[in-house]
Amino acid sequence: MNNEIPVQALGPQGEVMAHAVDACVHCGFCLPACPTYALLGDEMDSPRGRIVLMKEVLEGGLDLLDAAPHLDRCLGCQACVTACPSGVPYGELITSFRGWSEPQRQRSPLDRAKRYAILKALPAPKLFSVAARVGQYAKPLAPALPAALRGPLDLLPEHVPAMQPSPEVTPARGQRRGRVAFLTGCAQQALAPNFNAATLRVLARNGIEVVVPQGQGCCGAAALHTGARGEALRLVRANLDAFNPDDYDAILSNAAGCGAGLKEYPVILHGLHDEKKAKAFAAKVQDISEYLATLAREEGLEPFLPTSRPLKIAYHDACHLAHAQGVRAAPRELLRMIPGVSIVEIPEGDLCCGSAGTYNLEQPELAGQLGARKAGHILSTTPDLIASGNIGCHTQIQSHVRRQGSAVPVMHTVEVLDLAYRGEL
Amino acid sequence: MTVEKLALTTTSPARKPRSEGGGDNALAAELTRLLGPKKVLSNLSERLSYRFDAIQFGVTPLCVVLPESTEDVIATVKAARRAGVSIVGRGAASGLSGGAAPMQPAVVISFTRMTRLEIFPEQREAVAQPGVITLAVTEAARPHGLIYPPDPASFRTSTIGGNLGENAGGPLCFKYGVTGDYVNALDFVDAEGELHTLTRDAYDLAGLLIGSEGTLGLITEATLRLTPPPKFTRTLMAHFAEVGQAAEAVSAAIAAGAVPGKLEFMDGACTNAVEDYLHLGLPRDAGAVLLVDTDGDDLDTVEEERALVEAACLEAGGVVRRAADEAEAAALWQARRSVSPALGRIRPQRMNEDIVVPRSVLPEVVRQIRALGDASGFHLVQFGHIGDGNLHPNILFDPRTESAEAVHHLAHQIALVALRHGGVLSGEHGIGTMKRDFMRDAVDAETMTALHNVKRALDPSGALNPGKILPEEPHA
Ligand SMILES: Cc1cc2nc3c(=O)[nH]c(=O)nc-3n(C[C@H](O)[C@H](O)[C@H](O)COP(=O)(O)OP(=O)(O)OC[C@H]3O[C@@H](n4cnc5c(N)ncnc54)[C@H](O)[C@@H]3O)c2cc1C
Ligand code: SF4
Ligand code: SF4
Repeated sequence: MNNEIPVQALGPQGEVMAHAVDACVHCGFCLPACPTYALLGDEMDSPRGRIVLMKEVLEGGLDLLDAAPHLDRCLGCQACVTACPSGVPYGELITSFRGWSEPQRQRSPLDRAKRYAILKALPAPKLFSVAARVGQYAKPLAPALPAALRGPLDLLPEHVPAMQPSPEVTPARGQRRGRVAFLTGCAQQALAPNFNAATLRVLARNGIEVVVPQGQGCCGAAALHTGARGEALRLVRANLDAFNPDDYDAILSNAAGCGAGLKEYPVILHGLHDEKKAKAFAAKVQDISEYLATLAREEGLEPFLPTSRPLKIAYHDACHLAHAQGVRAAPRELLRMIPGVSIVEIPEGDLCCGSAGTYNLEQPELAGQLGARKAGHILSTTPDLIASGNIGCHTQIQSHVRRQGSAVPVMHTVEVLDLAYRGEL
Repeated sequence: MTVEKLALTTTSPARKPRSEGGGDNALAAELTRLLGPKKVLSNLSERLSYRFDAIQFGVTPLCVVLPESTEDVIATVKAARRAGVSIVGRGAASGLSGGAAPMQPAVVISFTRMTRLEIFPEQREAVAQPGVITLAVTEAARPHGLIYPPDPASFRTSTIGGNLGENAGGPLCFKYGVTGDYVNALDFVDAEGELHTLTRDAYDLAGLLIGSEGTLGLITEATLRLTPPPKFTRTLMAHFAEVGQAAEAVSAAIAAGAVPGKLEFMDGACTNAVEDYLHLGLPRDAGAVLLVDTDGDDLDTVEEERALVEAACLEAGGVVRRAADEAEAAALWQARRSVSPALGRIRPQRMNEDIVVPRSVLPEVVRQIRALGDASGFHLVQFGHIGDGNLHPNILFDPRTESAEAVHHLAHQIALVALRHGGVLSGEHGIGTMKRDFMRDAVDAETMTALHNVKRALDPSGALNPGKILPEEPHA
């Protein structure tokens, strides 16, 4: 798309944004992939429309305030990136744009408090855990609360489990086949500690030593995607210091959002002095399912025990895994390796479940509609179990599936693998 | 510079309004009163989003209406008429001739929320509102053992309303026909806001509306014909050193009696653009690639037809590859479907032609166009539904460094090649604003007067999609 974005004035991130706008030929192929377009049916809430809005704001022809409502509704799910035949890096555009525009935003005190709380609580597992417990007691009060506060409460699981910090080193069982570093995630540690425990067990069982480097912190994705660029840079640099990519075969994440965030480091640092370091780091980052599937293909995995009865698993593609990281086949391959498991595809499977990081908190109404739609589609396949690779999707799907009266278990892919190893499926 | 040429770039005259937030014009207020706030967009950020289609940026509309029913459309047209404001219909805005881009301040009626679709398997019919996405019709019909054959490459995005507006076709159109061949009945709202129901008997007024690009009326419902899909399909790809050879193979195959379901062509530049994007293992050195499906309910005939095409390709000097299975066939067709947008990676802007010429002159025409492109210094590519003689020469350019006038000139030269060989200006994408200038070369003065008379009869005040298809009338 032809544009007059003042790249010079905007610096390295301006380059990133102008490149994305340039690449868009406004063909509209991305429209049907976009969840907000599916719900609202208007151009401003489509990827093509948002690209035009960002272009106009950057060029100075449109006030940020006018464009903001539509840009805020973007889930960042990147379904448009998968759909776009011209290879427009929409994810890089919206992330950079949010970073650029956030300092110019004036937000209401409630909004500011909410964002502050999210940004502080998410990266601090202990704090988050406490907050989650408090929130849990507040749940029965939800109907009486303003909508802005109801969203976060809806997100909380039925039980907030106790924290289980991961050991610094988990040795390989049997012969050592590899050594990886593991990012433990933040909210996840508090909400679903079993994800990490299962990950460590499955890796160890396959001869992989797992190191949880001290000094690691939040991946920075939440900060970045809400536009808190300064905060994000601080977190990114802390992680670059904590992980030395040369020490490991891979740097693993089991949260799709965090994994995508880690792979984005070179874009965040584009034009800054740590760019090279970020590239080396990002080159090593893999999702747990990618790593295990490669291992399975190249050297084989320890065999899984068969399930006690035929098990139909509905596998949900987390946007940050499927669209942002392009990982679709690996988790399905792994699950299919369990004797007795069959995978069913979910109708409209590419459409976001509405969780999308902090979206549930910022756009509770749209998030709710998407969650209900997703749960309905999943349940239409009558699965015995629902699997996905992202904590956000997990809580969102669990909450909506329960609301629709179903008790089907919802698990992380790696939890399913872990149970199969123990013969408990 | 004329408006058309200016509009080739994104720098159209009304591009840089200041952001003034609320839509304070009287029409927006009236429409909001009539339809409620959810269906009427009046903020600048909202209106800016409705000034373009897949090729072109036009003038920012005064306001935008997202109707949910035919009544909403009628109310909008009547209100616009009272206010003396022109009206532009819009589907997914995937059009390639500027059809949905307003050329003057107007109200845009965007049909994307009118998506009701019903299938009547016994009648083999679908009744669709204009905002239904093309592919959705086939998807809804398939469980009943039926399909909707018109298949523009944009079928995942484009709407039935837009397909009707452009009389869209696709790869299947060679054997199965274009959108217009599948319309049994139409509802449309005229320039005065009156609703009409048309069938195909008596005067074929439905036929007049189809392909009229929203300049004669706004289609609010269509009854579409469905057919059972062919039982068998076989796919073949052939590549040639030079574009003319591919065209010769096509002429020979059809002369020999083959009626392929699809018969598509891409030149070397297209093949490479797609290969850069999808890495399918397409032949990068080839000057042209043909993609052919033969289909039908009798496997022997289907195979026989494929053999006929194969022989013609070999005879013309081509190298033939048969798709071994469905997956390979699907990959080859994905290549063809991705041509158009994959070209966007080469240059930010393109001028898309849509000429149709008699098959007998195809080799000569593609060679002449290739030569024009080479001589111009522009990046020119050709692809299209060659079985129909429908070619899409595309001029890729960068409006910042290349002259829009020169692009327009080259496009004109190409149009003239088609016309000299007994061809026409548009097969399926419409005339829009892009090729409006060339209409004078294509249509004699008497016929042009007849076209203007038809337009005047249905839209006396010229309120419907002004600036499209017909050049300004010379003042009498
Ligand atoms: C990558 C790409 C590939 C394409 N491939 C093909 C192809 O193979 N074959 C093909 O034929 N086209 C193709 N097209 C062009 C385009 O997709 C078609 O012309 C399509 O029919 C347009 O549909 P739309 O819904 O996007 O309509 P729009 O672009 O929104 O509108 C098209 C025209 O129809 C009018 N219109 C829209 N709705 C109505 C209505 N309800 N009543 C009256 N008028 C209306 C508009 O005013 C406009 O003049 C392609 C486009 C792209 C971007
Ligand atoms: S599909 Fe890609 S090129 Fe087409 S409009 Fe969307 S982002 Fe732009
Ligand atoms: S990231 Fe998702 S929500 Fe945002 S524009 Fe793309 S498809 Fe739509």
